[in-house]
Amino acid sequence: MIRVVNLKKNYGHLEVLKSISFEVEKGSVFGFIGRNGAGKTTTMNILAGLIKFNDGEIFIKGKEFLKHKQELIKSIGYLPETPAFYNYMNAYEYLNFIIEIIGCNQKNKDKQIAGLLEMVKLTKQAKRFIGGYSRGMKQRLALAVAFLNNPEILFLDEPASALDPEGRMEMLEIIEGLKDNKTTIFLSTHILNDAERVCDKICIIDEGKILLTEDLSRLYEIYMQPIFDIEFEKDPKFDLDLLKNFKWIENIKENGKKISLNVKDINYAKNEILKQLSNLNNTIISYQIRKSTLEDIFIKVVNRNGII
Amino acid sequence: MGSFKAYFIKENKESIRNHKYLILAVGFIFWALLDPLMLKLLPLILKTSLPVDLASLISNITRDVAFQSLLKNLFQIGTLFVVFSLMGIISNEVNNKNLIFPYSRGLKPAGMVIAKYIHYLITISLFILLAFLTNYFYIIRLFDGGVLSISIVFKSSLLYMLYYAVLLSFLLYLSSLFKKSIVPGIITLVLGYSLSILNQFKNVRSYFPNYLLLKAADIKNIFDSSLVPTVIISFFIIILLVYLSISHMKKIDIA
Repeated sequence: MIRVVNLKKNYGHLEVLKSISFEVEKGSVFGFIGRNGAGKTTTMNILAGLIKFNDGEIFIKGKEFLKHKQELIKSIGYLPETPAFYNYMNAYEYLNFIIEIIGCNQKNKDKQIAGLLEMVKLTKQAKRFIGGYSRGMKQRLALAVAFLNNPEILFLDEPASALDPEGRMEMLEIIEGLKDNKTTIFLSTHILNDAERVCDKICIIDEGKILLTEDLSRLYEIYMQPIFDIEFEKDPKFDLDLLKNFKWIENIKENGKKISLNVKDINYAKNEILKQLSNLNNTIISYQIRKSTLEDIFIKVVNRNGII
Repeated sequence: MGSFKAYFIKENKESIRNHKYLILAVGFIFWALLDPLMLKLLPLILKTSLPVDLASLISNITRDVAFQSLLKNLFQIGTLFVVFSLMGIISNEVNNKNLIFPYSRGLKPAGMVIAKYIHYLITISLFILLAFLTNYFYIIRLFDGGVLSISIVFKSSLLYMLYYAVLLSFLLYLSSLFKKSIVPGIITLVLGYSLSILNQFKNVRSYFPNYLLLKAADIKNIFDSSLVPTVIISFFIIILLVYLSISHMKKIDIA
């Protein structure tokens, strides 16, 4: 559905996207994750036709994006991270304004607007000026704008960033529902739990480079490495030096009195770790082995900076 | 057509709700009301403090002089109102990121730019006509003498409308180029006022749009052949600048 080949984008001398390539399959949810400034929003803006790029090729629905931009853009809905509206309009007027631009069926427009406002729970506020909306309400209206005319492809940039927990859950349910409708979704998010819940494929971008693109299930197979979470009675910072010397420990994540250990050999570690911990002059309050989450994988991949 | 219609309606809503119509109305019509009153009252106010011969000079104001006085003031003050209320006509949209949704849903820049231009051209033209007519009806009640007639007022207003159409096209183009709205505002003001100096030079003045203002005040001979190059050049400038604005808005990075 979307194929990006060697995409480059510079802002002056700053190379924001360093020849990135990836492919998004039709009807899938593609999770685009990365740190702030990694290049996520730039990529989205390019794919939504809002900014130019320096080099590379983009194909959407098999057609070259630059050549067929006006035609292809009609099948795309975009939800920017910080949506901006005309504050003197109300939600109904704004959706009507966008419908006029899209040029979709005018007969059903009232029905479509009412349906979308219902979906994003803004029916009661439909006649209020957007200037008086909260950030969450603006985000929900932005979602309605992105969904107008049922686009085949949706670019969602941090769709849940301004939503309360309930709104976030509803957003995830909407995305899951769209998945069933065979809508292709390109989702950028910081909330890795959300990506884990709805995405079929994960792409990690860092410093303008793609570090990894993999099916979520395959990602777990590759990185299904247990993590040892240990909680001490006292701050273990002096004990960490001892642990860091062991070659079978890959890295240690500290969080106050808790540490998380990634190990190179799980079987060896299982036998060895308790022995070594018992030598420390620090009481262990809890000890558990858990599976890696997407967050663990993300941190690992980004810290290795591309060496997988 | 969808983009044009959407933005024409949007500009209309914005002008009502953000009081742009009111500001422009004040800029044009208020002066049309005030100018003849001031001309009538000023000699009475200054009667006691001025020498007799000078006071009689001021009190001998004909309808033609009163109308020419409005034209002069309207150019100076109306231009300020137009420029300061419309200097962010495009740059504000870009800066406030208001174009992200429309562009991402297939907005045609030509539709947007032309809708903005036509909307404000109609608005300004209507206010000019209203101002001129209001002024005329005041003048014929307050002053005597002169050749001023309704047809002269219409002819004169047409030239003013064309002048402001040129000014608006400058504002539109510069606003598409610069991110800070004050820059197109200042440049347009400087251009608008400074080009009037060229009206002193008979050989070149008919090649510049400010000649329209000079001819609008030439009550006894408004439309003559000297206006042909001015009108042609004015239309050429408008078409060129609107085209360049569209072309720039097609290439610009919106996000």
